[in-house]
Amino acid sequence: MSNNHNRTRPVYMNLMQIKLPISAISSITHRLAGIYIFFITLPLALFLLYFSTKSYNDFMLISNTFNKSLLFSTFVSFSFLIFAYHILTGIRHLLQDLHIGESLQASRVSSYIVFFVWLLLACIVFSKVYL
Amino acid sequence: MMGSTLFYAQRLTAVFLLGYSLWLLSFFILNQPLEYSIWVLFTDQMNFLILTSMIAIIITIHGFIGLWTIGTDYFTSRTLGFLSPAIAKYADVIRGLYSLLFTIWGILIIFFILLIIWS
Repeated sequence: MSNNHNRTRPVYMNLMQIKLPISAISSITHRLAGIYIFFITLPLALFLLYFSTKSYNDFMLISNTFNKSLLFSTFVSFSFLIFAYHILTGIRHLLQDLHIGESLQASRVSSYIVFFVWLLLACIVFSKVYL
Repeated sequence: MMGSTLFYAQRLTAVFLLGYSLWLLSFFILNQPLEYSIWVLFTDQMNFLILTSMIAIIITIHGFIGLWTIGTDYFTSRTLGFLSPAIAKYADVIRGLYSLLFTIWGILIIFFILLIIWS
């Protein structure tokens, strides 16, 4: 044990070597989703808002493109599902800030609940878009 | 600025954004399939214009704190050094450029939200 003191300690952290528990995966994907929203979903929402309120023709153009282009409808649905994911994991974090479900066990369970609810939501959205 | 101020600002803005998102979601659910006339009426009402203008500021504050936290957590010499020790030396420069990017992006977001809804 005392030999530990002489061992060369790592200067840099290898983030890939850290095994993440489910609650940490929930936390880091919340952050990644946040980046995606700020740089992609938000401008996309502004693009949609601008053209859908510009004129009736532009509204119909957006609407038709959504119905016809698989790429466009997938991109839009995915972007807003990422937003929904950020909100769901965000609610979990807000509850934990209020000291609700803070224990290790509760944190694990709520992570799985959030993943499950989001998957269910994704299934509903994609079935509406594709079917 | 106090760390606790940033902590509470992040949570408070989150609650506002949650409320605003639920408001929009309820509109879309109640008005399916969405028609142009109803949509334009909704986006032209004072409630929408004032709330969305406030949200433009709130979303930028929320995004700024979140992205800044990510920057100080992951774009440091200790974490970037894992990719390459040569990059580690420029960690402060990389984090600075990253901060500059999302700051400019945030200002553009506020500008475009206000331009689109009020014009």
